[in-house]
Order: sequence, then C-alpha cells, then structure tokens
Amino acid sequence: MSFEPKILGIACNWCTYTGADLAGTTRLHYPQNLRVVRVMCSSRINPSFIFRAFQLGADGVLVGGCHPGDCHYNTGNLYARRRLAVTKKILEFAGLEPGRFRVEWISASEGNKFAEVVEEFTAQIKKLGPQQKLKIDELQEKA
Amino acid sequence: MTDFKQIENNLKNEAKRLLEAGEVAVVLAYGRGYDEKHSMPFAAKTPADVEKIVFNQYCNFNMARYLKRYPCGTKIAIAAKAADSRAIIQLIQEEKVRREDLVILGIPAYGMKNQKTDEIIDGKTTGGIYNPVIYDILLGEEVHGQPVASPYDVLAGYEAMDKEARWVFWKKEFDKCIRCYACRKACPMCYCDPCFIDQSKPRWADKAPQSPGNMMYHLTRFHHLAGRCIDCGECSRACPVDIPLYLFHKKVAKECEEMFGQAAGMKLEDKPVLVDFRVEDSDKILE
Repeated sequence: MSFEPKILGIACNWCTYTGADLAGTTRLHYPQNLRVVRVMCSSRINPSFIFRAFQLGADGVLVGGCHPGDCHYNTGNLYARRRLAVTKKILEFAGLEPGRFRVEWISASEGNKFAEVVEEFTAQIKKLGPQQKLKIDELQEKA
Repeated sequence: MTDFKQIENNLKNEAKRLLEAGEVAVVLAYGRGYDEKHSMPFAAKTPADVEKIVFNQYCNFNMARYLKRYPCGTKIAIAAKAADSRAIIQLIQEEKVRREDLVILGIPAYGMKNQKTDEIIDGKTTGGIYNPVIYDILLGEEVHGQPVASPYDVLAGYEAMDKEARWVFWKKEFDKCIRCYACRKACPMCYCDPCFIDQSKPRWADKAPQSPGNMMYHLTRFHHLAGRCIDCGECSRACPVDIPLYLFHKKVAKECEEMFGQAAGMKLEDKPVLVDFRVEDSDKILE
C-alpha cells in the first residue's frame, strides 16, 4: 500500500479558505490528504498548534494566509510571518525535516495556486515519508 | 578590573545608602548560602540586612527574575551584571517594570564561575559582554581587554550536525528532563501566570516527564522566549540534569537577530521582535 500522508492545513478565513472554496467550485483536482482547519487569521495560529499537530500524527503542516498587505485585519499576517518563521527555525534546529512545514500566501482569487500548492506539498511529504520523530506513541500518552 | 571583594563592599555601601535614605524599599542582591560557593538570591529590606549581602565569583543568579514579585510602583534597587541588565531592559520593553522604579547597580565582572563545574562563564555562554548595558551606579571599573567571543561561536558545532544527528542529540537531552521547571523558575523572562504547561484547558502537553510532553514543553518554551531570551544561561545552570538549554535559546536568538536585525534587551526604545513587524520583512524568512 502506498503511503498516504496526513497533512494539516490551517487556512485563514478571508483568503486561503476562500481560495480553497474557489478551487472547489471551479472543480480543480488536488490530493485529498489535506485536512483544512479554518481560523480567522493566520496570526491566530498558536505555534503550539503546529508542534501539537506533529505530535498527534500529522506528516506535514501547511499554513495559508493572505498576501502580506492584504490582511483582513491589516497587520495580522505581518505578525504571523515573523512568528511562523521562528517556528520553522525551531523545528529545523530540533532536527525535523524542514520540508514538513510550509507557509503560503494564497489570496481568495487564487484557487489555482491553492490546488498547485497542495499538490506540490503532498508530493513533497510523500517523498519525505511518514513523520516519526515528533509523533507520540499511543501507549505513551492518551490525549 | 575591580576585584570581587571591592565590588561586594561597593554593593554594601550603595545598598546601605539607598535603604537608609529611603530611596528604595528593597535591594535585590546576593546573600550568603551554606558556604561560599553557594550564594543565594537575597532581598535586603532594612539597613541591617545589608551585612548579609555578599558578592563573589559564584553569584551568577539573574536577579531580574525577582523584579516581577513586587507590586508595580515599588522602588527597587537591583544588582545587575551584563546579562541581567539586558533582562531588565527587556522587562522594561515589555512594560513589566518601570524604569523610574529601578535603581540599577551595575556590576562589571569577568570570571564568574559555574557553581557546579567551577568553569568560568565566559562570553560564549553569556551574551558576549561583561559590562552592564544599562546602570545608574557602576560598582567597579568597566571590564576591558578580556577576550570577547562572539556569543554564537559555541553554536557552530551543532549547526554543522545534520538534522538526524541534531534530532538524536536533542531527543536524548530532552528525555533526561524530569520536569522540575527549574528552567522556568530561573528565567527572568518566564513570568506568565499560568504558564501554558500548567493549563488544563486546553492541555497543551502531557505533564508526565516523558518524551512527548518534554519535547512539547521545551519547544514551546523556546518559542515563547524567541527574541526575548537575553542569553544569561541561567536555565542551563539551574537544570539539575544539565540539559544545555542555552544552546537552543542561543540558536533561536541568533536566527531572530539575523532575520529581524535586533538583539534582545539592548535598547530601551526597541520593541520585542515578535510583537512587532515591518512591512518590508522579506518572505525569504519563511523558506
């Protein structure tokens, strides 16, 4: 059986989630490995969400937000950019493969880009294989 | 360089003067422990307490840790070495203490020693500086001519490791953790109440001292201290199982400095990097 990764997508309500909607309404095909969680803004994402997702078995995490300057709340994604850059560096220094976490700016009109990014990211995670490092052994913790 | 005995006398004199004049309510300094090597954090509240103040090469506590214990508006005098003064600046930036409430007694010191290993704590394991960044009264001559190593030199070996080796290294280190939270207690920047690890809704991480919870606790703590860690190294010295936490903090500090062009706790007018942004930040930082 081929490896089907579990990918957590965290998408901002105003751009990426709407972009995903557009990808759907225009009948674009993209891999079904992405599970999308909608948040109101990319700056609402607590970095612990990402660590926790990896612990609970995500093979990759994709964060989507508005293009810088386009944020519905004006400055949210500018904070998020700095914060998530630090998250990325921390995961990298801890020894997780850097390709497992990705941040993309996808606007509401970029259904195509959404499908492309998901396709590309899924292929990348498939190549990296299952994420074993942070994943919790079920016996060790019952969350 | 002024010797430690001289600094101790200056510290006592200043503390006595400030307390007698009623300029401050408390002097945060170092007190005698059960022997010379084990000095303790000490708060002198009356002129009579001043006699108990000591200063020697083992007084490496970061007294900025205790500033937050006093209600806002309390006048405090604090003995601050180089890294401690950066912690004070960082706390002022975060509006946890007010500059006008503080009398900073700066201590320029080279040759501080780790209580456990007797190693000299040089520029590599502190912020790379020996003189306080900010002070009202300097209790000795400034230190010059000591080797000033780049604070990030010590990282080179770890950065050269490939990711698998780094993972094995950190996993082994974090597995040692017994979750005593001494790192959190020693840290001047850790003042959240409650700490995320003590919250039960949501429960961010397992509280048992096992691998997954340890990993979550430490990674999140590194993240919370990103751009705020002032590199005093107290977390690793407080650690009973000797996890080199300072290495990871230093790495995050280095990345923050490279990405955002600002080191923590160097200027009063700066804002902590993660509560600030620039429109012209590059998207390259996310690659």
